[in-house]
Amino acid sequence: MDGSARISRRRLLAGSAAVAGGAAAGGLLSGCDAGSSGTSGGSGGAEGTVTLTVMYNNNELTKEHIADFEAKNSGIKVNFLQTDPTRLNAMLAAGNPPDFVRGAAVGSANFNARGLAADLTPYLEKSEVLKKDDLLAVNDSFRWDGGKIGQGAYYGIVKDWSQDATLWYNTQLFDQAKVPHLSDTEPIGYDELLAIGKKLTVKQGGKTKVYGVGLEWAWNVYAPIAMMILQQGEQLYNEDLSETDFTTAAARRAFSWYVDFAQAGVGPTSLDPLPDGADLSTFMAKRMAVSQDGYWYGGNFVKETALQANIRMAPAPVMGDKRISPTYAGQGAWIPSKSKHKDEAWKLMEYFMAGPPAEERAKSGWGLPALKSLLPKLPQDLPYQKQAYQVAQNELKSTGALPDSPYVTIDAWNLGLDKYLQRAIKKQLTVDAACQAITQDINKLLKQGKEQIG
Amino acid sequence: MARNSWTRYSSRTFYAFVAPWVLGFLLLTAAPLAYAFGVSLTNFDGSSSRWRWVGFRNYVELFGDQEAWAALLRTIAYTAIAVPLSVAGAVGLAVLLNRRLKAVGLWRTLFFLPSVVPVVAMAIMWKLVLNRDAGILNAILNVAGIKSITWLVDPMAFYALIILTLWGLGGGMVIMLAALQGVPQELEEAAIVDGANRWRVFRHITVPMISPVIFFQVVTGVIATFQIVVQPLLLAETNSIAGVGQVPQSTHLYMVQVYQEFFSSNRFGYGSAMLWVFFLVILAFTLLVQRSSRLWVHYEVDTDSDR
Repeated sequence: MDGSARISRRRLLAGSAAVAGGAAAGGLLSGCDAGSSGTSGGSGGAEGTVTLTVMYNNNELTKEHIADFEAKNSGIKVNFLQTDPTRLNAMLAAGNPPDFVRGAAVGSANFNARGLAADLTPYLEKSEVLKKDDLLAVNDSFRWDGGKIGQGAYYGIVKDWSQDATLWYNTQLFDQAKVPHLSDTEPIGYDELLAIGKKLTVKQGGKTKVYGVGLEWAWNVYAPIAMMILQQGEQLYNEDLSETDFTTAAARRAFSWYVDFAQAGVGPTSLDPLPDGADLSTFMAKRMAVSQDGYWYGGNFVKETALQANIRMAPAPVMGDKRISPTYAGQGAWIPSKSKHKDEAWKLMEYFMAGPPAEERAKSGWGLPALKSLLPKLPQDLPYQKQAYQVAQNELKSTGALPDSPYVTIDAWNLGLDKYLQRAIKKQLTVDAACQAITQDINKLLKQGKEQIG
Repeated sequence: MARNSWTRYSSRTFYAFVAPWVLGFLLLTAAPLAYAFGVSLTNFDGSSSRWRWVGFRNYVELFGDQEAWAALLRTIAYTAIAVPLSVAGAVGLAVLLNRRLKAVGLWRTLFFLPSVVPVVAMAIMWKLVLNRDAGILNAILNVAGIKSITWLVDPMAFYALIILTLWGLGGGMVIMLAALQGVPQELEEAAIVDGANRWRVFRHITVPMISPVIFFQVVTGVIATFQIVVQPLLLAETNSIAGVGQVPQSTHLYMVQVYQEFFSSNRFGYGSAMLWVFFLVILAFTLLVQRSSRLWVHYEVDTDSDR
């Protein structure tokens, strides 16, 4: 073998590095392929067929819905992905996002301000199916005008929603504890709720036999605390949503209530959680007297004939003088700004939000519809459904939107609040010190967010 | 060819064989490392195009981040407990099952079985066992007159994580068993003839003979334990793995903190800086263990330094 044919170590490494570098650079340019959106007439589809990549929950957008949608839209095939925030992140980072994505209205400001979602207003203005004047106010949380939520362009449409602070309670457990039933029209005060929660709680041998009140702590502490602050007539953020002051009297009172609740052992908390992280199974087992869940919760009891006679819905509790009964989420869908098939995605939006699936959802009672025209379709066949319907209708008068800053996520709020709640509950920090620390932590995140978004 | 000394194979063959590894290393290790380093110099949020270079600001912030340092110290403490227990447990089980027992194959299979169970299934099983109200462990404690313990929150969650880790030590046991079977019997017999008792034989013959394998287990154990992230997330009392906020403080290890920065705070730049620092920390610990091996690892062949 002559010298020229030999491969030197240096040449091999340099060559390999060049290949690797090229591949890496290629990767940066094209992004990681976390599940790409198909192209018109592209591979895997018939000529002229668009493959629409949809990321949703398969128990909400079912196989049957997809088959029906495809049958009605012959040029569109759906590539369905189960909701996966990590995968969505990767797809967004790669610049190749799904065309239709599940997302909540509350908290959407962060996505909208980062330019991730497409403006749906032009589609809404042209649509014969989804009309602007048919949208309930809950959709306003998907609106963003570049400065605040509630006005400006629409960046998503709500599928269904609930007044999530409303209460469901078991009358049998109330009777056993000799606690009067809750009013259907007048909200209970938070302090009174804690007081009756203590009476309703039954402990035996170091175990909690019956929880007085469940707050769905594992799901969200931000939304109820933000609501409590609004109910006291205070604001969570300053005017331009770039700073928070969690040391106000209203914030401290809300935070203290959560600390008192946990220390009283009235319901599950992150320090004393339920094994499945949700109230439902415990409530259905008659081991929880009150569960703070919205109208949607009633959908769980349609087949629970034994339970139906003992359950009722009650208005959202209040802390202060202002009655506000907001949604904590308002799940719906949005179309990424980098979607390559926005027109087709809008067709799915029309079908899913105003077509047969929407009507089906409204009739089932799994949440309130987001369209005015669908409200009369809510179920009232069973006595408990009729009672819940009336409470929900009454609560509509108190609908209000939770604050939403584009510079911080709801997840970050939940993390911060729960971290300091735990320390305050364990008496490692006073309420005042915890509120001070929350203010510092969130303001740091707000500053970082503002710097990024501009 | 004439100017070279005699070679059995051509250089081309050598490089053809090593090229797949070199390419794999460059593509799957070096390139991601370089990419992560690049990201660590930005304020990239993981999804939008609104990012800019921030220089070493993420690293500077990390040095003052008490949460990150607390998580790192917790991880070191966890590693310092979990790795010695895992290695000692694996050696202990291997010694027990290296005897002439009835149905020894069955016993070995039984002890090995948990290590092939997927981590998700294992975590769910332990969540059920450790459940405060309906778990079998508390039921046993109750029979013994001990009050129920909330295992999956602070401070007990840390011990629950150790239990979960130790449950899979059957994998190490198999490797140790192979090592034990390589120990020459005549050496042990000679020691016994010289009057050594069982412990002295184990301490002065068996352990030195299997020390290279113990060393391997310690090094790989330290690296793997440092990087644990899925187990604390799975053990947390939540119905969603994304619920990183539900991970108790005592099991909030460094990688959990990294996960939180990436997927809760959308701080990919800062998270990448955390990973780079962690890479250096793991490298330092690995070198430390490597260095210490001169004191306690016995090789039957001469090492480079002995030559």
